[in-house]
Amino acid sequence: MAYSLPLPLAHAPPARAQLNDAATDADLVTQLQAGSEAAFRTLVVRYQDRVHRTVLALLRSPEEAEDVAQEVFVEVYQTIGRFRGDATLSTWLYRLATSRALKNRRMARAKKRFAQFTSLFGFDNRVLHEAPDHAHPQALLEGQQQLRHFLAHIARLPGQQQVAFTLRHEQDLSYEEIAAVLDTTVPAVESLLFRARQTLRKHLQPHLHHG
Amino acid sequence: MADLTTRPVADQEWDDLVRQLHNQPKTGVRPFFYARVQARLAANAAAQSHALPGWLRRPAYAALLGALVMTLSGDGAARRPAAAARCQDCPGARPQPR
Repeated sequence: MAYSLPLPLAHAPPARAQLNDAATDADLVTQLQAGSEAAFRTLVVRYQDRVHRTVLALLRSPEEAEDVAQEVFVEVYQTIGRFRGDATLSTWLYRLATSRALKNRRMARAKKRFAQFTSLFGFDNRVLHEAPDHAHPQALLEGQQQLRHFLAHIARLPGQQQVAFTLRHEQDLSYEEIAAVLDTTVPAVESLLFRARQTLRKHLQPHLHHG
Repeated sequence: MADLTTRPVADQEWDDLVRQLHNQPKTGVRPFFYARVQARLAANAAAQSHALPGWLRRPAYAALLGALVMTLSGDGAARRPAAAARCQDCPGARPQPR
């Protein structure tokens, strides 16, 4: 959908946001497709934390998560006209969030590889820093080394496995919901989760024994 | 045998880890998230209004492009006099004025 709605003031009265608070997701989509700014505000408020948490779980960087979450809602606004209701609104949002987060991760890795490559040939005289370790605040505060290792290994899982594992164990989604998000079958999700657990347990085994 | 003794411990620790992962504090977005989404939409809309590439918005480049298009799409009339000058004896060549 082309960007056709007039942009309202950023600090519109909260009463406008309350208009659709009780509306179902289907109502929201209908209103949004009709160009309702209030519906968009309600949708953002309703899903912002879920989208942000999902992206944060995949990227482990609050700044990147904020950026990607914003991108997700911009994409929702711009493409809501093409939403046909084949999936539920929440499934669609999870799908956008996970795919954008994985894309972001791929780009960050490619950038890091390129930086390493250029540093090899001395194209860049800057000192190459390792990416900061965005360990979860709880792990840092309580010194939970195992959780930090766990999060680090989850981040190294292949994309689909990471998404499945994160949606299952951090977002509490059912196998059916994960299958809908990943546009696959429940047995395929079971397989992804099995392989993810197997990989994680293999890598964590020394820490589990001696941690 | 070693596996038999260590496996249950590992299982328990695995379960603990998964529980810790699940019980992490649920962080939300920072305040005024919607306002930032709005600002991003506005920025995107402004960017889309400049649909032409930057180089095409410069008059000199636009003029150069126009001249190039005119040259390439013409029927060759501009080159015909030169060709005629080189071929005065050709049949159909116009006599030169004295």
